[in-house]
Amino acid sequence: MPDMKATVREWLDTGKVDLFLGYKQVEGHPLPYAFDRDNLEELQDLMESPARYPLEKLGAGILAVQPNLKIGILGRDCNRRALNVLAVHQQITPGQIEVLELKCCPSPLHKHADCSSLEPRTYGPVKLEVGIDNSMPTARMEQFDQRTRFDKWLYEFQKCLKCYGCRDICPVCFCKECSLEHADLVETGGVPPEVPLFHLIRAVHMAGRCIDCGLCEDACPVDIPLRLLYRKVNEIVKDLFGYETGLSLEQPPLSILGECAPGVTGSHGAAV
Amino acid sequence: MTNSIAEIEDAACIFIIGSNTSACHPLIARRVFRAKEKGAKLIVADPRNIQLSLFADVAVNQRLGSDVALLNGMMHLILKNGWEAKEYIANRTEGFEELRESLEAYTPERVRKITGVSPGDLERMSELYGTRKPGALLYAMGITQHSTGVDNVKAICNLAMLTGNVGVASGGVNPLRGQNNVQGACDMGGLPNVFTGYQPVTSPEANAKFSQAWDRPLSDKPGLTIPDMVKAIDAGKLKALYVVGENPKLSDPDMNHLRHAMKKLDLLIVQDIFLSETAQGADVVLAAAATAEKEGTFTNTERRCLRLNKAVEPAGGSLPDWEIICRLATAMGYPLNYDNPKEIFQEISGLTPSYAGMSYDRLGLDGIQWPCPAADHPGTRFLHKDKFTRGLGKLHVVQYQDPAELPDAEYPYFLTTGRMFAHYHTGTMTRVSPALDREQPTGYVEINAADAGRLSVREGDMLVISSLRGRIEAPAKITPAVLPGNLFLPIHFGENPTNVLTNSEALDPLAKIPEFKVGKARVEKLVP
Amino acid sequence: MYKLVPSVCSYCGTGCGVLFEVLDGRILGTLPLKTHPVNEGKLCIKGWNLHEYVNSFMRLQAPRVRINGRLHQVTWDRAIQFAADRLKKVIAEHGPDSVGVLASAKITNEENYLLQKFARAAVGTNNVDHCARL
Repeated sequence: MPDMKATVREWLDTGKVDLFLGYKQVEGHPLPYAFDRDNLEELQDLMESPARYPLEKLGAGILAVQPNLKIGILGRDCNRRALNVLAVHQQITPGQIEVLELKCCPSPLHKHADCSSLEPRTYGPVKLEVGIDNSMPTARMEQFDQRTRFDKWLYEFQKCLKCYGCRDICPVCFCKECSLEHADLVETGGVPPEVPLFHLIRAVHMAGRCIDCGLCEDACPVDIPLRLLYRKVNEIVKDLFGYETGLSLEQPPLSILGECAPGVTGSHGAAV
Repeated sequence: MTNSIAEIEDAACIFIIGSNTSACHPLIARRVFRAKEKGAKLIVADPRNIQLSLFADVAVNQRLGSDVALLNGMMHLILKNGWEAKEYIANRTEGFEELRESLEAYTPERVRKITGVSPGDLERMSELYGTRKPGALLYAMGITQHSTGVDNVKAICNLAMLTGNVGVASGGVNPLRGQNNVQGACDMGGLPNVFTGYQPVTSPEANAKFSQAWDRPLSDKPGLTIPDMVKAIDAGKLKALYVVGENPKLSDPDMNHLRHAMKKLDLLIVQDIFLSETAQGADVVLAAAATAEKEGTFTNTERRCLRLNKAVEPAGGSLPDWEIICRLATAMGYPLNYDNPKEIFQEISGLTPSYAGMSYDRLGLDGIQWPCPAADHPGTRFLHKDKFTRGLGKLHVVQYQDPAELPDAEYPYFLTTGRMFAHYHTGTMTRVSPALDREQPTGYVEINAADAGRLSVREGDMLVISSLRGRIEAPAKITPAVLPGNLFLPIHFGENPTNVLTNSEALDPLAKIPEFKVGKARVEKLVP
Repeated sequence: MYKLVPSVCSYCGTGCGVLFEVLDGRILGTLPLKTHPVNEGKLCIKGWNLHEYVNSFMRLQAPRVRINGRLHQVTWDRAIQFAADRLKKVIAEHGPDSVGVLASAKITNEENYLLQKFARAAVGTNNVDHCARL
């Protein structure tokens, strides 16, 4: 890989990007950091980070305020997949956010398998017995009988503290109105949120959306295996429609429920 | 907290009493869930059924205000079964014999009569907490906001010491602080009887030290607590009140009484980020910057002093609180001049032994847990490791007393108060947040289906709740979270001001904390 | 232009690490600080929305003084002078113990320190308390 810092300097110098989102060590913590032409000398501190933040989401947020900027981000394949989804849903124009790509993770959506950020975590024995091992493949989960599976998910969902962190950190969650907050769809006002409806609503919305970056699970205070849940949903989408979320560049099959459906005036697709 | 938040994960037993942790301290509840999943046993004692009750190995609903009886009952059984930490008691505590004698009367049958907790449940919770070490004890306002609040805390300390759980990693007595800087406000001497670091104003050495540092002779007479201030206002003795970042009109008990008393002030100065209920009645309102708009430190519930960084400029023409205070003091003829909070912090660490080793540079983003007595001291993960501050740990005899009010024919319900998961204190900060307002836009009164059925009340019907102090209206929320005969009101809503009903007379004699958590009340359907 | 500023949540006493996302002097959002010892990159619903109260249009923009029964916006000099003069008058007529100061569990350590210093040294009373009990 060419020198990361030199590349970013070139991007900024040539005007390929106006702003580059990478990481910098601040008081011992790797923090997302914005580099631009006014602080080029700080580029020497640009680094990869073991802690991942949704840089593409931050970038899209900046573009929502300043649409004429060109933004670069330090990213991996999951960031690129997320940008594909954002482009498919017309949240950004392709090319508005450039990715300087790093080595990558063990997601089935990608072949490389050396992302240090996603080393499997360890979970207590009671979770493995009563709940779900987050690192379990979907096929392994399906070996449990239906009753056991249901009980295990119920256990995990009942822990939910309703922080909405899974949604708030998600690089491909952008709806202005979120179904999770619709009192007609799911009860508001209490913890845990309505079990299992709250999580199933979000799972349905992740069909054709989730790019398996794992940030939701990272953000979950109570270790709910969200990645497994959404991975299953997207396996179904792939099996039924041949659609590979984050890789396919056409509209996902379920977005007919969004802007393509007659009489629906949502601003962007898939606001199911 | 004697111990640290992260340590909770490695406890073998967690006993939560009077804390709705997953709603009020979600990121501490995270550690409870993780501990549980690593194999810890969980005991939850709360008059309401809370989210964590679902996950408990033993969950009990003790009658409101009966905590001392419950805790004494556990200790009775721990001693009866020989589960106490004999060596620890002998080496590190005093007062054991007196305590043991006092506990004899708390038989499971008597405890059942007072608390409603069955002897079987009591036995199971006693065994779990008595035999699985280390045991972490977590509590919050459900323990302290009682006329017997100090007794409740003493009983908790007795239980923790009796089982050798104080001064060990992942054990301890852990009050969960409700507001971001309660710990810091106490540490910094925001109390009538102490300077920073709990140095008494009555101590000649401390008084001399601060008099010299501040270049003024200082009073050695302890001042008034908030409830006593209200009385002094009422009596015409307290004439001016300077309120910073508080909304006592909504947060203090017996609101009507306070509102009436405040009218008697000659001068009310309120410094806040919003025009709160209290600020609306002020003579001077000083517009303060929010935490994202200034530098400074907070000290969290595990004694960790954490640095804030300024993200944006203060809104409009508002100023950081420290600047306002400096300007006011200077105008009063006592010049206070600091360039920045860092300078103030240096003065604090110079005068406060437990903060002596801290500096902005050392705090970084991780913070440091006090006591941190020297610049090379790493800070303290848990307190009382080899000995207690006073030497031996004192076991106090604590006898059960009824709460100040119990239901009667005229007011047949128990009324208790607390927080909702999306709101905070008097709601000044959370109710202006669109996301939080969307989640929980209105107040309500929680009522059990059995009571609702008897009153022919349906979900959302307006109810009138009255106590000896006053009456308020709130929509009904029918839920198994409260037991029959109990009502619960959240505290965040000016339009259903819970503290019209609460009792400002029933204070803990020592801590002066009002009995927000137990009162008697009547409930009726609103007749329009 | 764009920066992420590490800070601490100002809701409950847990003390979670946050990052404020700032664009052109306005906070766009709040993120959890991933490497913080307390919250390890997770937040509750209040923390995730921490910036909303800061941005609220309800925020006080300037000091106010009650004139003829109504609160009016005034300059800082006028508000401070008014407050100081009235406080001095109360102290002169009724003594320093006729003044009470309520410190706050919501402001910083430095500010609480200054407030009790203000009460004890500038006013001359130990009548300082805060609402930890409430």
